[in-house]
Amino acid sequence: MSQFVFKMPDLGEGTVEAEIVAWHTEPGAQVSEDQVIVEVMTDKAAVEVPAPVSGRVVSVTGAPGDKVAVGSPLIVFELGAAAPAKAAVSAPPAPAPRADSAMPRVAATAPPPEAAVPRAVPATRIMTSPANRRRAHEAGIDLATVVGSGPGGRIVRDDLATASAGSGANASAGSGEGASRSARPGPAAEPAMPTPAAAETSEIKVIGLRRLIAERMSEAKRTIPHFAYVEEVDVTELEALRQHLNGKLAKGEPTFTYLPLVTAALVRALASFPQCNALYDAARGVLVRHRSVHVGIATQTPDGLKVPVVRHAESLALRELAAEIRRVSERARANTAAREELGGSTITITSLGKLGGIASTPIINTPEVAIIGLNKAVERPVVHQGAVAIRRIMNLSSSFDHRFVDGYDAAAMIQALKELIEHPATIFIAR
Amino acid sequence: MRLHLPRPPARPGEKPDFGYVHLSPAGAVARPEVSARALDMGPLATELVRVLDDEHEAVGPWNPHLDPAELQVGLRHMLLTRLYDDRMQRTQRAGKISFYMRSLGEEAVSVAACMALSPGDMLFPSYRNQGLHIARGIPLVDLMCQLLSNTRDMCKGRQLPVMYHSRPGNLFSISGNLATQFPQAVGWAMAAALKGEDHLAASWIGEGSSAEADFHHALLFASVYQAPVILNVVNNQWAISTFQGYAGGEQRSFAARGPGYGIAGIRADGNDFLAVHAVTAWAAQRARTGAGPTLIELVTYRAAAHSTSDDPARYRAKDDQEHWPLGDPIERLKQHLIKLGEWSEERHRALATELEALVAASWQQAITYGTMSEGPRLNSDLMFEDVFKEMPKHLLKQREQMRAERG
Amino acid sequence: MIQALNSAMDIMLGRDPSVVLMGEDIGYFGGVFRATEGLQRKYGEHRVLDTPIAEGGIVAAAIGMAVNGLRPVAEIQFADYIYPGFDQIVSELARLRYRSAGEFYAPVTIRTPCGGGIRGGQTHSQSPEGIFTHVSGLKVVMPSNPYDAKGLLITAIEDDDPVVFFEPKRVYNGPFDGDPNKPAVPWSTHPKGQVPEGHYTIPFGKADVVRAGSDLTIVTYGTMVFVALAAAASLGIDAEVIDLRSLVPLDVETIAASVTKTGRCVVAHEATRFSGFGAEILSVVQEECFWSLEAPIQRVAGWDTPYPHAFEWEYFPGQARVAKAIKAVMESP
Repeated sequence: MSQFVFKMPDLGEGTVEAEIVAWHTEPGAQVSEDQVIVEVMTDKAAVEVPAPVSGRVVSVTGAPGDKVAVGSPLIVFELGAAAPAKAAVSAPPAPAPRADSAMPRVAATAPPPEAAVPRAVPATRIMTSPANRRRAHEAGIDLATVVGSGPGGRIVRDDLATASAGSGANASAGSGEGASRSARPGPAAEPAMPTPAAAETSEIKVIGLRRLIAERMSEAKRTIPHFAYVEEVDVTELEALRQHLNGKLAKGEPTFTYLPLVTAALVRALASFPQCNALYDAARGVLVRHRSVHVGIATQTPDGLKVPVVRHAESLALRELAAEIRRVSERARANTAAREELGGSTITITSLGKLGGIASTPIINTPEVAIIGLNKAVERPVVHQGAVAIRRIMNLSSSFDHRFVDGYDAAAMIQALKELIEHPATIFIAR
Repeated sequence: MRLHLPRPPARPGEKPDFGYVHLSPAGAVARPEVSARALDMGPLATELVRVLDDEHEAVGPWNPHLDPAELQVGLRHMLLTRLYDDRMQRTQRAGKISFYMRSLGEEAVSVAACMALSPGDMLFPSYRNQGLHIARGIPLVDLMCQLLSNTRDMCKGRQLPVMYHSRPGNLFSISGNLATQFPQAVGWAMAAALKGEDHLAASWIGEGSSAEADFHHALLFASVYQAPVILNVVNNQWAISTFQGYAGGEQRSFAARGPGYGIAGIRADGNDFLAVHAVTAWAAQRARTGAGPTLIELVTYRAAAHSTSDDPARYRAKDDQEHWPLGDPIERLKQHLIKLGEWSEERHRALATELEALVAASWQQAITYGTMSEGPRLNSDLMFEDVFKEMPKHLLKQREQMRAERG
Repeated sequence: MIQALNSAMDIMLGRDPSVVLMGEDIGYFGGVFRATEGLQRKYGEHRVLDTPIAEGGIVAAAIGMAVNGLRPVAEIQFADYIYPGFDQIVSELARLRYRSAGEFYAPVTIRTPCGGGIRGGQTHSQSPEGIFTHVSGLKVVMPSNPYDAKGLLITAIEDDDPVVFFEPKRVYNGPFDGDPNKPAVPWSTHPKGQVPEGHYTIPFGKADVVRAGSDLTIVTYGTMVFVALAAAASLGIDAEVIDLRSLVPLDVETIAASVTKTGRCVVAHEATRFSGFGAEILSVVQEECFWSLEAPIQRVAGWDTPYPHAFEWEYFPGQARVAKAIKAVMESP
């Protein structure tokens, strides 16, 4: 007798999870292949899922209303004399189901006992590097629930990234300080495999970092009542300071951008607006204000958006701040950032630099309550001291969590920030 | 075709036979000038320099004409050595020390030589030269504490018993490895010559150890550089159970190897205090006048076992030593002094009593610093010191681990 | 490197009258590798001594001299010949301070050329440094370049502990990246070939991060430093290359910090693989950096055969062997 673990199939059209609507079977029941066993709901539609094998139902995961992630165990069957259908003996998981297929096929996690060489993840021994064990341990991931995509079923680093959905893992828009949003540990992802008819369309599986970003962005938008506040800031003086500093650099030293200067100003401003430097612990219903400012620097990387963190920005001098911003951003881009460098921010700054446009509506990096966006700095004709002058103007497009930050406070904070930026010397005057 | 195998003259149960030991009549061997060429000293390497004859009279050209007072000092040192040995042997049998090596019958080899040298001369002993330490006045308490590996152990618990050293006494650290000290002594002597100093080095190995390559290196370097060194081979006939034939003594005397290297070689009666003193003084003067090194073979007998772990009855006749043709060093010097009218049996007995009391008192004092079973103990932290001049990180770490283990 | 070593000995002979040199062919002739060239002429026959061909005697005599207040620097002509002196080194020199509770010690430096890549066969190419690292009481160093060589040799001579100083002879005249078909490059063209004229020291127990990097850590010493640099460069890998320089005492901190940072490690030495010093490094890395390791540690070493003459370049751990190890460690997911 062997067991077969049926995982939530990919139901097409980019679903990452499905909600259980109703079970059409129960533990102990005998089912035959193709018999409908469960009804699930995606964003788009309700789907009836048939049994992939004949056998006896050992256990089911999830009750009606529960969300089950694609790829996570759904039902465990005990098989009859027939070998498990389509069970893959070797490590690479099964190919993705066709878009029109009602018969999803998945990989077996438990190796069939008759298999001469169990190449899938063995039931007793988990193969992964020491570094991954540490990461899993720190992320609270149970390695037994992770399917390895490496040689011999070894768990590789990316497997952990996809497995850590919701528990503050090593990717994407900031991580919570301990609060785990999802009760379900994520399983491994299936690798992207193009559908046979690739001429007109191409399918990219939403897994890994992309899936994490998707989930977190959705959640942020879904749970936080965002309100936007845009202000234009005269950065002429700031630009003069920036040029001056850059003119005094040694050969080969990297130049200052606006980012460290604005960050320094933000840190000063937050001293008077602690309600903007806070994290919301939804589980406990508590808003935690932080005295230290750990600034998330939204960084575009080849893998997608990551938010490396500059810790204790309040204790760094300008040069150190610039260097640290550079360092964590580079590490994020090079994919060498440590876990603690990609989480723990208390506020985030996002800047698209030259591509920054005139205004934007950044999404707050949960569980923070504010995000400051830098738009493009351009020369504009403005009225300055009673006459039309060409000044350098940069808009700040910020979003705030309206549950905890009132409009007045948000505006006041941005005004304070504006005042610091427009009189740059005041950024650096000691308290 | 048969391979020759050296055999001792008498195995257990057989009658002792020392006919193989070539003897010369006392006083018969000439005494060359200290500046004589090694090549011209041929007979001295195979004959036997003796001063005390069978009637305990000093005869011949090698007579050092020592003061009776000095001879009495020599007798005292030798007797103290023997009594110390006796007591420590018994102490080991009583389980109070773990190991001991006596120098029974070889007291003159060390004491007489030491007294012919200067305090500034560096001595490189083997483990059977305790007479050197005693003659140089190293307190018995210090020696005993080393045997006990207690809190006053000069070696801080690191060495087997009898592996003494004394920096102030110019007695080099004794190694458990055989013959290593021989070429080291030559190096020391080379340095003395380089520095233009008046000091010389002297070293002792057993005849068995002369088989080691270090023996060859010592003679070679001593010869090449004409180092001011005295190299002594103490031929006590046995190396544990290995008869001196296995060291090459059957075919040639050990002293004869000296001229083979161009070094003066002298074969002398090791149980004759005056002969040992005389040849050592000759070699010392030779070295100090820049005339080069000397190889001295002391012919003697290891009257007791190799160590407390050895039982010679298993490989040689039990009463072997009683048949040794050259007698006992202490007995002979005593008789000589008595002959001179400078000593008596009563004085000897009194001296023995005095020295026994000294040994006993020293032991009482030594054990206050700790014994194997009770009293203060050395801190095992010491294990990690002196590996290097300063303790490196990895040893600091290991010491912490040991401390944790120890509790 | 020869000039650097010569300079170190020259300076020490001049500064400290207790320093003497000794060895086979080192005096009048200046040494078979010219390391002691000119020194006997300058300081006299009684400071720079020719000796018999007796390594045991050389070491023993050095010990005796050291005990009598001199500071001998003994040359063993090839490390392949050090074994006759092994007993005096291990049983006597290494333990003297310990067994005499510091009353006697011998500040002897033993210099010896080691290593292959010179078509010297098994009696002129060995790297026995690992054997000596196993003996407590000995310091063991091996520079890879002239600058380090001079500083380390001066430190060794001034050190009151015994030091076995290995000189990788392949890099006596210039760095060697493992490719025998390239024309030789002299030290004069290399930054580490620039050696200050005066007295300076390099402390023991401090490794040199020859190249900082973030992809992986290569821990190595001697000739292999340059082979490793070349192998990594050929692959375009951003390797952090650590030149240990000092095997005992070992700079564990530098190794551990590096592998913790990179998570990947290759250990490389010329000496034979089994129980080579690389095994100790590997063990240290495993102990200190286990939770950071992304992949098994790779070891590059000579094969476990006597050093063959005709198969020099198949034996010598060249760039190909190092590159293979680098790839293996980088490709582990």
